Amino acid sequence: MPALCYLFEGMGSSCSRSHSVNEANTEDNLKAVEIDRRILQETKAEQHIHRLLLLGAGESGKSTIFKQIKLLFHTGFSEAELRSYTSVVHANVYQTIKILYDGSKELAQIESDSSKYIVSPDNKEKGERLSELGSRLDHPFLTKEIAQDIKNLWQDAAIQETFSHGNMLQIPDCAQYFMDNLERLSQPDYVPTKEDVLYARVRTSGVVEIQFSPVGESKKSGEVYKLYDVGGQRNERRKWIHLFEGVTAVIFCAAISEYDQTLFEDETKNRMMETKELFDWVLKQKCFEKTSFMLFLNKFDIFEKKVQKVPLSVCDWFKDYHPTTSGKQEVEHAYEFVKKKFEELYFQSSKPDRVDRVFKIYRTTALDQKLVKKTFKLVDETLRRRNLMEAGLL
Amino acid sequence: MSVAELKEKHAAATATVNSLRERLKQRRQLLLDTDVATYTKNQGRSPVNFSATDLVCCRTLQGHTGKVYALDWTPEKNWIVSASQDGRLIVWNALTSQKTHAIKLLCPWVMTCAFAPNGQSVACGGLDSACSVFTLSSQSDRDGNIPVSRILTGHKGYISCCQYVPDQETRLITSSGDQTCVLWDVTTGQRISIFGGEFPSGHTADVLSLSISSTNPNMFVSGSCDSTVRLWDLRIASRAVRTYHGHDGDVNAVRFFPDGLRFGSGSDDGTCRLFDMRTGHQLQVYARQPDRNDDEIPTVTSVAFSISGRLMFAGYSNGDCYVWDTLVAEVVQNLGTLQNSHEGRISCLGLSGDGSALCTGSYDKNLKIWAFGGQRKVI
Repeated sequence: MPALCYLFEGMGSSCSRSHSVNEANTEDNLKAVEIDRRILQETKAEQHIHRLLLLGAGESGKSTIFKQIKLLFHTGFSEAELRSYTSVVHANVYQTIKILYDGSKELAQIESDSSKYIVSPDNKEKGERLSELGSRLDHPFLTKEIAQDIKNLWQDAAIQETFSHGNMLQIPDCAQYFMDNLERLSQPDYVPTKEDVLYARVRTSGVVEIQFSPVGESKKSGEVYKLYDVGGQRNERRKWIHLFEGVTAVIFCAAISEYDQTLFEDETKNRMMETKELFDWVLKQKCFEKTSFMLFLNKFDIFEKKVQKVPLSVCDWFKDYHPTTSGKQEVEHAYEFVKKKFEELYFQSSKPDRVDRVFKIYRTTALDQKLVKKTFKLVDETLRRRNLMEAGLL
Repeated sequence: MSVAELKEKHAAATATVNSLRERLKQRRQLLLDTDVATYTKNQGRSPVNFSATDLVCCRTLQGHTGKVYALDWTPEKNWIVSASQDGRLIVWNALTSQKTHAIKLLCPWVMTCAFAPNGQSVACGGLDSACSVFTLSSQSDRDGNIPVSRILTGHKGYISCCQYVPDQETRLITSSGDQTCVLWDVTTGQRISIFGGEFPSGHTADVLSLSISSTNPNMFVSGSCDSTVRLWDLRIASRAVRTYHGHDGDVNAVRFFPDGLRFGSGSDDGTCRLFDMRTGHQLQVYARQPDRNDDEIPTVTSVAFSISGRLMFAGYSNGDCYVWDTLVAEVVQNLGTLQNSHEGRISCLGLSGDGSALCTGSYDKNLKIWAFGGQRKVI
């Protein structure tokens, strides 16, 4: 339509920002004004909401933190939501036993001491059957009979051996928990508890968000937060990370217990190294120049137990670690070492102009609700202080 | 066969594929005796005469409170829909620059938007991995928002781009971070076809952009993080018709040339390229002059052609908006340095249906409309 051309011809080089031209009718004008008013109102209403972004490698515990926040400060899980997790929990059980059984066969092939990993003849038949069930997209309901088979297999010495040496396999952290609770999970009227939901692993698709207030929205001083978990995207972060420019803080989850494990997506890559690279990358992103960083060194409970059996130095990043004592003191020593590594990485990766952005480290165990609550209160305090500082009041 | 043996076989197969690719590349080099610009200049053609008043910014559309990520014109009524980091879609009347609709999205992380051919609906998608469709004539709710008419779910990654099939309100194509493109039936919400994914010859990384041919709407091209562009036939989902190699980085933007026989692409490698659809040859590379002021090469975010194809508009991450003379491969204007230009990265651009106006969207939260001014004929 050449009309557009002629209309603009008259404008020449003057750039008009006027909202109405003589031809536009009043109704259109009113509508446009109303839209502007609404945008202004919506923007104002959101100004006081702090947006938090959860980031971290797969299995870092982000989604568990997300669920904890939901339980602690939001509405928690409704009866319907709890029920919706039944199939997820059952799927996790099938997946776990499959990984363990298949893993025992793999270890029997590659390890020199293969007899340790060979299951007893009765259990072999069960294992083959369960492995097939676990590979289906649609799992059968977890009946008492199937649960009994799984329990027998779990208790087989070879499977136990596989479980304790499984750092090369992708054994989920919830394995022990679900295996210990098989009887309850296979009840015909089973409804998952909150704890079951916290342990349950399901790949989130897209983005999940919750809005919450740590002290309760009725209290004036309570900050309002919106927490986002973008866990489900298995693709190039660099193509969408810029969407989050302007968030108040990034909560970066690093599972410190993974120093001896490899990635699900790439078994040649060490998970801790992956986390290190990811953290470095996130710190350097232009969109987070002014963003506060809360680093959650997560899965401390697993770290505690592991560090006494598997030396930290198996991970390249920690190869200069030397144990000095043993027991609880050693655990603390190891933790402080890991914490220091992350601190060094932070300062190395932050350009001079970013040095005054907020950076805090927290030790967490995502499954420990009290600890998450305490940690979050600290995070809230930090962010409120930052707010006041920015407003020039501190 | 053991795991180790399988791995060996896989490595050997990959090596074979790579060596075949290398041979193909060399063969193409041999055949490529010239490029468009060299040929044109040998014919004695010179760049198009373009001055600072030939393309003028005549409207600035303000209203978004966040970076503008995407825009699309409707071919008939000169309306534009834009998507922004503020989580809104805004529909503008380009002639009056008034807003006609503002939609606050449920998932604020929107990356793309599209106008239906009849101008009655808009579609958008983003990190929610779903494409939402809104019918503009719907009754707004209490908050003044239009409710979503349909949500197209199924992708396992973010929606990077969506386009309606020309003259078909009921079909649209999406490209996604899950490495596939999908053809949807909007009325039923069903996936009609999936391009890539489990089928071989699909993209091997996130798909970032797509363009449907206007002369043959059964064909579309997609650009990806795997540095390639692939051609698809809507009727044959099982394999890509052709793969175009050449770029050295993510292909952020693709656009068919007006005659539907060639297409342009823009990439993180800082270049735009013109490819011949049927032969697969790279016809021309449009590379910027290196600038001492850039710490990194500015990447190409968006690409569009003027109505004749003589001009190619390219938006860059540093705010430049080059007007390339497609034939001679020279920059004839930089809209980024003109008066009243954008103050940030150009994230998207597009020509109106009749080619008389260009709309650009930027990280500076605004959209701008540029029209051919004065005596300048629309080319």
